[in-house]
Amino acid sequence: MDTTHSAEATQPKLSEELEKMPYEPLLPIEKKLILWSVLLGLFLLGALVLLNQALFRT
Amino acid sequence: MKKTTEVKLLTEDWLAVCLGLFLFALSLASIFGVDALGWAVTTSVWTNPAKMLVPTSKMYAAVAGYVSLLITYVFLLVLMSLGAVLLRLNLWRFIKAFTAVFCLGYLSWILGSWAYIAATPDKRASFHIGWSLNLTNEAGYIVALIVGLIVGNFLPVLAARMKEAIRPELYIKTAIVILGGFLGVTAAEQLGLATAVMFSGLCAIIVAYLIYWALVYYVARRYFKFSREWAAPLASGISICGVSAAIATGSAIRARPVVPVMVSSLVVIFAVMELLFLPFMAQTFLAHQPMVAGAWMGLAVKTDGAAVTSGAVAESLIRAKALADFGIRYKPGWIMGVTTTVKVFIDVFIGIWAFVLAWIWSAKIDPKRGEKVKAVEIWQRFPKFVLGYIATFAIILAIGLLAPAQVAKAKAAMAQANVFRGIFFVMTFFTIGVVSDFRKLWQEGIGRLALVYILCLFGFIIWVGLAISWIFFHGVMPPVA
Repeated sequence: MDTTHSAEATQPKLSEELEKMPYEPLLPIEKKLILWSVLLGLFLLGALVLLNQALFRT
Repeated sequence: MKKTTEVKLLTEDWLAVCLGLFLFALSLASIFGVDALGWAVTTSVWTNPAKMLVPTSKMYAAVAGYVSLLITYVFLLVLMSLGAVLLRLNLWRFIKAFTAVFCLGYLSWILGSWAYIAATPDKRASFHIGWSLNLTNEAGYIVALIVGLIVGNFLPVLAARMKEAIRPELYIKTAIVILGGFLGVTAAEQLGLATAVMFSGLCAIIVAYLIYWALVYYVARRYFKFSREWAAPLASGISICGVSAAIATGSAIRARPVVPVMVSSLVVIFAVMELLFLPFMAQTFLAHQPMVAGAWMGLAVKTDGAAVTSGAVAESLIRAKALADFGIRYKPGWIMGVTTTVKVFIDVFIGIWAFVLAWIWSAKIDPKRGEKVKAVEIWQRFPKFVLGYIATFAIILAIGLLAPAQVAKAKAAMAQANVFRGIFFVMTFFTIGVVSDFRKLWQEGIGRLALVYILCLFGFIIWVGLAISWIFFHGVMPPVA
């Protein structure tokens, strides 16, 4: 990864790029991805919290 | 700009592994009685300039501090120049640029080690001073960042001349490889605590990838009407690991290269802002919970460099406050160790996450592309410096567990390697400052991107990160020195 050598000289303007950006409504698959991602995250986090309590807090 | 990527003999990632392992191996030689790095310079808190620089090892006590500094500079110059050759950089330009980076970085460190800035209250009497800012000599990092910001924002000609050596990612990754050994020693001494720290790394992965990412993506798409091409790299940049994640995601969803580049430039600026205020917030509110503070830095601050260096600053600030307010002297390395572990765990999954996104995009969101996602892409996007970190950590931990009598020697060896970790840190701070061009914030159109960042950062990233860190680390204290 290189944070320093962006090709700024040849880079188009941000405002122009954002203006060109098309409107894309959220697809059902994206909603599913978001929802399942958060739910899975919360479930796994809960499981890890319990495991943490059992393993390291006793 | 000269294109160098096609002809590189080595990537920056692999170069960091080589540099880190080389310095680690040299330091490890001291276990076998070979003092290979004892001449390296260390900077002490000072009021008398004659005493500020000393060689690391007592064996080299006769060597004057400035000579030690000169040898350290020449050694690093040769080492980094070899790296520059492998990266196919313009060698002469690199030598000049690296010299400037080293000199300005090290001068910042020396300035930050001035007793009025760095001395802890218990040391003021020995320096014959009545007050100090109590920042420890790691204040040098903050000075380096400020000097870097001045160069990057007000001295563009100088910044451009140093461009060849302005490589914060290379410096921080090398430092992290070295840090693995240092943390291996701390883990060998406190295995139970170290296991708990590792465990927190797993939670960090879940938080960053499954919760942060999904929420940022939703906010960007639903409320700010960003297209998928923009929202996905933006979500990765804000929620996972800044620049590398944005670029990996951009490539996974086949976004135009300009998108992650623009997102990255914003991420770097915000990461520096976080670096400037979060460690001080941690010192103010979490001095009584140092491990919570360390994990928080890893979860809230984006980009490897800014996160690990935030951990370093938070550690020095909290250790100084704990000593001044409670009379407790925490062992160094633990707070920063949590930050680094959290960050490294997050980094490990960038490749897998990019693979998952590539599959979802090609199979479900944009199936007309008809491209197959290859598992090899996981390896291609895997941050290789993590391998170096794991190797140094595992070697020292194995020494500690298999030959406990050697722990003291391993500790001394890692103290030598740690000198170079400090130098790479200070160069990271300085170069992060140089690349943080705040004028970009005035660029037309940046407001919408920045708003998503600010809303997500202050809306939930900082607070969720704090809550998770609190759940896993409240009441867990670093060992006392």
